Amino acid sequence: MVLASINWGNALIITFMGIGIVFIVLVFLIFIISLFGKVMAPKVSVKKASQKEKSGADQNVIEETTIEHIPALDSAAIATALHLYFDDVHDEESHIITIKSVERRYSPWNSKIYGLNNNLIRR
Amino acid sequence: MKNILKIVLVLIVFLFSFGGNKVVAQDVEKSAVAANVEVVASEVSDDIASEEVEEPIELGKSISKFAKDSGIYSLFADKYGWKYLVMICIACLLFYLAIVKKFEPLLLLPIAFGMLLTNIPGAGLYTPELFADGHVHWQEFANGAGLLDYLYLGVKLGIYPCLIFIGVGSMTDFGPLLANPKSLLLGAAAQIGIFATFLGARATGLFSPAEAASIGIIGGADGPTAIFLTSKLAPQLLGPIAVAAYSYMALVPVIQPPIMRALTTKKERAIQMKQIRTVSKKEKIIFPIMVTIIVALLLPDATPLLGCLMLGNLMRECGVVDRLTKTAQNELMNICTIFLGITVGATATADAFLNVRTLMILGIGILAFSLGSASGVLLAKFMNLFLKNPINPLIGSAGVSAVPMAARVSQTVGQEENPSNFLLMHAMGPNVAGVIGSAVAAGIMLNMLG
Repeated sequence: MVLASINWGNALIITFMGIGIVFIVLVFLIFIISLFGKVMAPKVSVKKASQKEKSGADQNVIEETTIEHIPALDSAAIATALHLYFDDVHDEESHIITIKSVERRYSPWNSKIYGLNNNLIRR
Repeated sequence: MKNILKIVLVLIVFLFSFGGNKVVAQDVEKSAVAANVEVVASEVSDDIASEEVEEPIELGKSISKFAKDSGIYSLFADKYGWKYLVMICIACLLFYLAIVKKFEPLLLLPIAFGMLLTNIPGAGLYTPELFADGHVHWQEFANGAGLLDYLYLGVKLGIYPCLIFIGVGSMTDFGPLLANPKSLLLGAAAQIGIFATFLGARATGLFSPAEAASIGIIGGADGPTAIFLTSKLAPQLLGPIAVAAYSYMALVPVIQPPIMRALTTKKERAIQMKQIRTVSKKEKIIFPIMVTIIVALLLPDATPLLGCLMLGNLMRECGVVDRLTKTAQNELMNICTIFLGITVGATATADAFLNVRTLMILGIGILAFSLGSASGVLLAKFMNLFLKNPINPLIGSAGVSAVPMAARVSQTVGQEENPSNFLLMHAMGPNVAGVIGSAVAAGIMLNMLG
């Protein structure tokens, strides 16, 4: 009885139109973002050594390899190794000893002369 | 010795000066009194005629009146006093959840306190009649309104949710979404829960279309959006819906994992995803402007929420308004959260809260939330049929916009199967997409039913 009294046509239209519009809007955004990413994504280009340069170079020098993508785990391992290495190195002291000034600047607001709680001082 | 003498002298002069003043003052007074004697005499005779005889106070009567005016009398002697007691107990339960269990304490605590204040008989802090029939009765405000009535205007006029969205935007990094735009699909899939619940709520026959839409939005797991939409479509349900939305958001780590495990295989949960690309600053700056233009043009009703979200994000990413960003992230957000929480709690009056509909809302709300999570996981699985680099279906459940809790749950469940799997950043994409998706869904509901 209750189910029959509901306007299912309206309910279904709202449901499917709603889902449809959400998908359309977000798919449109995907399209725009993807397009946008292709244009604006930071590009890292590593120049490959040409055959001429290779032949002219000293054979003892290790050839530069081109690495286009480093996996996340490798990056993490390299970063950790570098951190541990540099963390061990003792940094040099600057040999400058600075004494921080603790002098307070005068202001009538912090002046003791005008305070109300001054004790009497025998002079 | 000289000093003591000086002080004594100063004291003597000081005392005499007072004495002298007194004498002068007395003289002045005497003359003034003499001048006014006639006027006063005539006024007194008039006053005596008009003055009413003061009734003697009876101790017994006044004590009984005081007792009857107290809230304790209303609690125990009124026919519906038990309702207030139950509501106070519910407020205490929410206090327990917020303080001891730490379930979304930032919002649950003010909500619980608002609930406590509004259910103290006779306090008169919140007057539902001022907002009856979904309208603000401005003329009634002049007759006397409580503190919470004034604060509630921020909810009623849709101010607090939008201001909170500025704060949310200024704390959100859309980088993972920009790096993997496909996440937006998962964010959209999670909104299926909203619309499916709308149908379910209508099927009960207890709720009108506008009320059903407000209940459905719980599935988006986005508190400000739920409050924004409910305050527009079904303000009478604001209390139960806000409590349900924030409670379920707090229960994300309890509700989602069983659904995620039930819908995925061990192998799927162990999928490792490719590292996401770096996103340039330019992209991050242009993104909020672009989304605002596109969404506002396509769906103007979603503009208040999305516009504020993107304004906050633009302030964060552009890097030239650090002071504004810090204010939006801290002071603005916190002040609005307090006002929003306390006033939403105040709408949970005994009459509005203690009925079958509230229980239904709580029940349907959890269904909405579960459906949203499940839809995201299932769409991720479906997408894997076509993708070269498969995505871990666990990140689909993060499409509900409980940021960042849902993403953390994806990470935790993923690591249970594969401890070297780091899904957090991948899950943040659908998670922030969910915020956009739920705002869009709210805009659609508002457009169709508002």
